[in-house]
Amino acid sequence: MVDITLRVNGATCTGSPEARKTLADFLRDDLNLTGTHVGCEHGVCGACTVIVDGRAVRSCLMLAVQAADSEVTTIEGLAPDGGLGTVQQAMWDSHSFQCGFCTPGFVMQAVAFLSDHPDAGEQQIREALSGNICRCTGYQSIIDGVLLAAERSRKR
Amino acid sequence: MAGIAAERYTGASIKRSEDPRILTGAGRYVDDIKLPGMLHAAFVRSPLAHARVLSVDVSAARALPGVVAALTGAELEAMTVPGPDPLMALIGGAGPTPEFTLLATDKVRFMGDPVAIVIAESRYVAEDGCELVDAEYDDLPPVTNAAFALDPGSPPLFANLGDNIARPRSRSEFGDVSGTFADADSVVHFHIDVHRHQNVPMEGRGCVASYDASLGVMTVYAATQSVHVSRIAVATRLGIEHDKVRVLADDIGGSFGLKIGASREELAVAAASRLVGQPVKWVEDRSENLTASGQAREESFDVRAAVSNDGDLLGLDVKMVIDTGSYPGMGTMVPAIMEAMLPGPYKLAALGFESTAVITNKASYVAYRGPWASETFVRERVLDLIAKDLGLDPVEIRLRNVAPRTDPPALMITGRPLVGVTSKESLERVAQLVDFPAFRRRQAEARAQGRYLGIGVATFIEAAPGPRSPEGPSGPMGMEFMRLRLEENGIVALFTGQMPHGQSHQTTLAQIAADEFGVPFEQVRIVVGDTDVVPFGLTGGSRSATMTGGVALHGARQLKAKVLDFAAHLMEASAQDLLITDGNVWVRGDPASAIAVSEVARRAASGQFGADVDAKLEVEATFDGGEGGWSGGTHCAIVEVDVETGIVKVERYVAAEDCGALINPAVVEGQIRGGVAQGIGAVLLERSAYGEDGSFQSATFMDYLMPTACDVPRIEIEHLETVPLDADVNFRGVGEGGMIVAPPTVVNAIEDALSPFGVRIYEQHLPPARILELIAAADSGQ
Amino acid sequence: MKLPYVEYEAPTTVAEAIDLLAEHLDQASVLAGGQSLIPLLALRLARPAVLIDINGIDELSGVSATDGWVAIGAMTREYVAEKSESVADTVPLLAAALPLIGHEAIRSRGTIGGSLAHADPAAELPAVARALDAEFVVRGQSGERVVPAAQWFEGYLTTSRRPDELLLEVRFPTARRGTGISFQEVARRHGDFAIVGLAASLVFSGGVISDARLAFAGISDMPVRAAAAEDLLVGERPSTELFDEAARRATGDVDPPADLHGSSDYRNTVAAVMVRRGLRAAADNARERQ
Repeated sequence: MVDITLRVNGATCTGSPEARKTLADFLRDDLNLTGTHVGCEHGVCGACTVIVDGRAVRSCLMLAVQAADSEVTTIEGLAPDGGLGTVQQAMWDSHSFQCGFCTPGFVMQAVAFLSDHPDAGEQQIREALSGNICRCTGYQSIIDGVLLAAERSRKR
Repeated sequence: MAGIAAERYTGASIKRSEDPRILTGAGRYVDDIKLPGMLHAAFVRSPLAHARVLSVDVSAARALPGVVAALTGAELEAMTVPGPDPLMALIGGAGPTPEFTLLATDKVRFMGDPVAIVIAESRYVAEDGCELVDAEYDDLPPVTNAAFALDPGSPPLFANLGDNIARPRSRSEFGDVSGTFADADSVVHFHIDVHRHQNVPMEGRGCVASYDASLGVMTVYAATQSVHVSRIAVATRLGIEHDKVRVLADDIGGSFGLKIGASREELAVAAASRLVGQPVKWVEDRSENLTASGQAREESFDVRAAVSNDGDLLGLDVKMVIDTGSYPGMGTMVPAIMEAMLPGPYKLAALGFESTAVITNKASYVAYRGPWASETFVRERVLDLIAKDLGLDPVEIRLRNVAPRTDPPALMITGRPLVGVTSKESLERVAQLVDFPAFRRRQAEARAQGRYLGIGVATFIEAAPGPRSPEGPSGPMGMEFMRLRLEENGIVALFTGQMPHGQSHQTTLAQIAADEFGVPFEQVRIVVGDTDVVPFGLTGGSRSATMTGGVALHGARQLKAKVLDFAAHLMEASAQDLLITDGNVWVRGDPASAIAVSEVARRAASGQFGADVDAKLEVEATFDGGEGGWSGGTHCAIVEVDVETGIVKVERYVAAEDCGALINPAVVEGQIRGGVAQGIGAVLLERSAYGEDGSFQSATFMDYLMPTACDVPRIEIEHLETVPLDADVNFRGVGEGGMIVAPPTVVNAIEDALSPFGVRIYEQHLPPARILELIAAADSGQ
Repeated sequence: MKLPYVEYEAPTTVAEAIDLLAEHLDQASVLAGGQSLIPLLALRLARPAVLIDINGIDELSGVSATDGWVAIGAMTREYVAEKSESVADTVPLLAAALPLIGHEAIRSRGTIGGSLAHADPAAELPAVARALDAEFVVRGQSGERVVPAAQWFEGYLTTSRRPDELLLEVRFPTARRGTGISFQEVARRHGDFAIVGLAASLVFSGGVISDARLAFAGISDMPVRAAAAEDLLVGERPSTELFDEAARRATGDVDPPADLHGSSDYRNTVAAVMVRRGLRAAADNARERQ
């Protein structure tokens, strides 16, 4: 067991995970933040994507202990006071999702990507999201949501 | 306010009510469930494809700190009721059934076959415990292909069956097969293979089982397409009365046919939870999902086609073999559906069909979105192959063969009437949307530059639910039930046995009910996922648009009539003079009379009324599918094949589809696109690969390749004007169509791209290496 | 797919890390980015007794340019190297390969040193390092040594790093005037490992190829230089016939592995295609860079 302190969604959290526990499992089990989903546990599907110290990462490929003293944002931490952020709202408006299991990973990856590439076009967005797997939608509605979010952010 | 006409929700892409929770991480999937004292299960799985189990020693696992229990297959059999595969028992498969144990006992029959279950404080410790289980095996020769399974010399996987035939060869004939073939201008032969691939929902199988010994009640939180079917499976196997089993389901991360009933592992978890007296959770990891949850589509076809010199497809004679894997389940029933569907929307005059289902040392064949899809693959490939031989264009040959819409409707040679089928219109529409002559010019220019573009089309129909039949409800799996109730607070609640797992029922059914009843969309609540509360039902078979949409429509109408009868008392008016719009009940012509629906409900619940007034504002509705109908369409793909590397890109994809009236166009389009993506995945990327020794080789996402946002293009969808068949319910199902027709669409396009090389394609899986092999083989004249 | 039990150490200095490596030797795995190691642990294919997490050793990160070389600290994240102007300007072949590594989230954590110490023969960075004759600086208890790329890669997932040594940095030579580069790969999907990949670097002087480096990913158990093709190219002017012949020579004596994604023949065929396309692209790139 390793004692860690970290900030998650703006709040200071502590825990004593085993070193082998992934950040994904720590978030879900120890902090009860079950919005981050586990889809493959070998870093391919992207469902577990969270933002650590400003970068989108696969939380199944980080040990919880490696997130000590970091700033972590999960899907639960995106929206102010229970509302929806720009990306989330645009995805709702675009019918982006169906079963919703891949959704948190896509949202977090899209948020991270757009903050670095606010003017990205469709092909760039597709490449940026090609590391997230969705089985339900065929991706077009997700891409449309991200394009809409980018457009709305630019208008502000 | 009274006087404002209600918005019409049906037909509009209303935003989903599921999304606020989905988009904020507030969904509740089975792995999100935590119960006090909950333990975690993991399975020890066979590393061998076929072996006798000599011993399974769980003592070291039991001794590991944190492990609460470890059970072998034999121990689980002793605490459950022996019987056949519960899903098979429910559907009613013909013929002798193989032995069915929850975990392997004396034999393992596929790599990944579970042999022991370990229950521990965490999944981490449960997996540690699994590593300490000592299982000894005696290797047996594996049966890894249909040819060997058909050989009477192959070692039988099941002693009680004696051989590896799950369903003996059966033959049917429709029309004059021998005459049609004898008289045809030519008879051509093809052998066509479809490869093994699988559902791969992003959420695997799983459940949390919790047994309350004092009440004798087993509660299972499931990921399932039907809480009631799961309940039957659990109750039967565990020997618990049905009404003492409660199955609950919340959000489900996709299924595509996988999560129906209860798998062996889920039943084992339920039995184990009863034994240990604490809730037990099991959620399969991706390796388990790929290796053990089940696979689909491994079918081969010997096809003879009777053809006229002008391109009429007169008859088909098909011999099919389906590889149903090791614990044959619903796979044995797929050939019958294929046989019925093989003629498609065409004027086929004769069909001979025979099929054999074989048992092999692979994971079980399970239902995967459009389980009968290979009939469309075979038929649409055959049409293209014939067209090439005769120098006909793929749209032309289909238009020639498609049955015209007549009254009375043409009958498929296998019996069903092609009522309301718009296949011809869909072909014509695709030809308009995709300028074929312009493409052919571009194709020629590209070839001159050494680039290979191709175009392919394919047409299909789907019984979603299928036309009205004299035998009974047109829907697959029977009548649809719904309970509708006006709650005290004015909410119109619909209780349905549907179990949405991406289908957006929470939204679409509310659209229909809101329109019929006269309340705002937000005033309707869809209740699913609790066997104590919802009627029997199942989501699958592309049924819900018609069956559930229909029962919601008629049920809302019936509830409204009841509410108006009651309101008539309150308002001292005649029910016929009352309207409900925008959540208010009012007397026609007198807007000031309006009372909120919620007020009417409150009054009804107040208990002030005597027996002469029916204040119970609830109805039980049923729907048999009405006139039913077909869904279908034509898809078209334009691809580019890099003939030096074999890499295929889908450049453009167009779908002209007819699924009747649309409840929510965005939902319909999402279903189509998702299905098409799976079809593209099947052709270019996905294969459940077994070695000759039966070892499973695609157990991670690094080997089982899923299509990504760079593999699936924009899919242009055109909704055709449909033929209404029913006075009220013309919604037809659309869940499976994309996955049924996309594979032949893409393969037809690839063959067209490679036609300068003389390539002919008789298979569905075309990874880059295979493309180069096909080109090389054609070059060398094979 | 939960990780097995491991002991965990998190040194904060290179000296501490080396002491730990010396203590545990083959029983330890170094945890850098974790993008390769953690999946192996999750699948329980890797079973170290101890994880030595070097993410806390700040001195291991950084990109610095010196006299003809760019030195990249082993813990430098791939995304940092991707954004580095120094790398973009002076090691263009590395800059071309970096965006092909997995996906952005992988590059958020994955490190230059980690990828090169893991030495997956289908990965992009080993081919780049081999093409450019990069140098690997390792330090153990017996001191520091510099290993040229030709000696660094020894076999499948095997390098010449001794169990008690820590990879400190990798040095890439800066591109000379007249350089043209390309990184080609055939992958099943965007971001996947290469089925076959080619790192190519040509130097032109007066229109003549004065230096040629070709290193393959995916056709062997480690990155391999196409020496016979390189020899052919030096001293010649670019032409289709020259590049075709180079492709033949590059694939003449390779025996690529076979797996689910391609047979040995397929990889052979594609390797030749990569050479033709890579050389053309490198020649074009040389013209652009002028």
